[in-house]
Amino acid sequence: MTDTADTAGAAGTGPAGTADATLVARAARGEAAAFDGLVRRHTPRMYRVALRITGTAAEAEDVVQEAWLSAWRGLADFRGESAVSTWLYRVVTNAALGHVRKRRPTVSLDAALLAGTGESGPLPGLGVLADPHANPEGQVVRAEQVDAVLRAIAELDVSQRVPLVLRELEELSYEEVAEVLEVSVPALRSRLHRARVALLAKLKERS
Amino acid sequence: MSAGADPLDDPRWEWVRAAARTPAPTPPGLVERVLRSVRGVRGTLLTEPLELEQDGGRLRVGERAVVVLARRRGAELAGEIGGVHVAAVALEPGGLDVLVTVRYGTPADEVAEALRRGLRDALVAEFGPVAPAVNVHITDVYGG
Repeated sequence: MTDTADTAGAAGTGPAGTADATLVARAARGEAAAFDGLVRRHTPRMYRVALRITGTAAEAEDVVQEAWLSAWRGLADFRGESAVSTWLYRVVTNAALGHVRKRRPTVSLDAALLAGTGESGPLPGLGVLADPHANPEGQVVRAEQVDAVLRAIAELDVSQRVPLVLRELEELSYEEVAEVLEVSVPALRSRLHRARVALLAKLKERS
Repeated sequence: MSAGADPLDDPRWEWVRAAARTPAPTPPGLVERVLRSVRGVRGTLLTEPLELEQDGGRLRVGERAVVVLARRRGAELAGEIGGVHVAAVALEPGGLDVLVTVRYGTPADEVAEALRRGLRDALVAEFGPVAPAVNVHITDVYGG
């Protein structure tokens, strides 16, 4: 989680949040460069969320593109009641959910071929090992563990996958995740607990 | 894990924390492709609306209409053809530019041409003779 300028929880506060709000206000007045600034600033984060929810790089790209088009169309309706980053998390999450739900209930030819050869390959985003200080063997083990986590998350129902991605991988606060998903914090906590239990069960199957 | 135990206390949860620390690098050029798509839909004013004199009036097709249709149909066609993915669409003075990536091992020229032809046919069916020329650019190869 190091590839955006502002990834901490409560991302809408502080100088970064103020800069975002200024960009949105200018973009809403028709300043194309301001919207472009938002795109440059937030695309890495949005791609990461899209990738974690959809599980494929190509689909994540589509999701990000659609999310930004949606954000541009929704600019006039953005009232500033939530942080810009929260709004963008919501936009990209909804776009990703739309993609996942639209999927045909068939196995793609690519997936079928890979399954046939026993090759599954690492999930995207695993080019960098998680712990650069570990010895080479430890790095490989850690990369396998990370791969197992991402695969297990990808197998969860989206109702569990999305809050897990936002809370455990994006490390948003409970309040922020609840705002993105438009649910109450107690409802979110309950859903997250079930999701964590489900994820852990899958990790145990793999270990 | 015993019933009711907190998953966060399980040693395996460290794997999840490691996953959170693992970067997901942004694909090269993604930001530019997004900007191009946004500008396409927003309208860059770089291109005049497509116009055709007709009996009793003039047909004008705006940049946004062309780009939105091309983007949607292009994605459908890419799915049907397989091995090709539409990354961005933009209307430029020389025609409609379609940026694609192709899967490693796919005959790039064949899928690009199939996409170009299909997209051009779709645009002609929708807009008639004012439909712009379609140029497909292969920007990257994925998989492999």
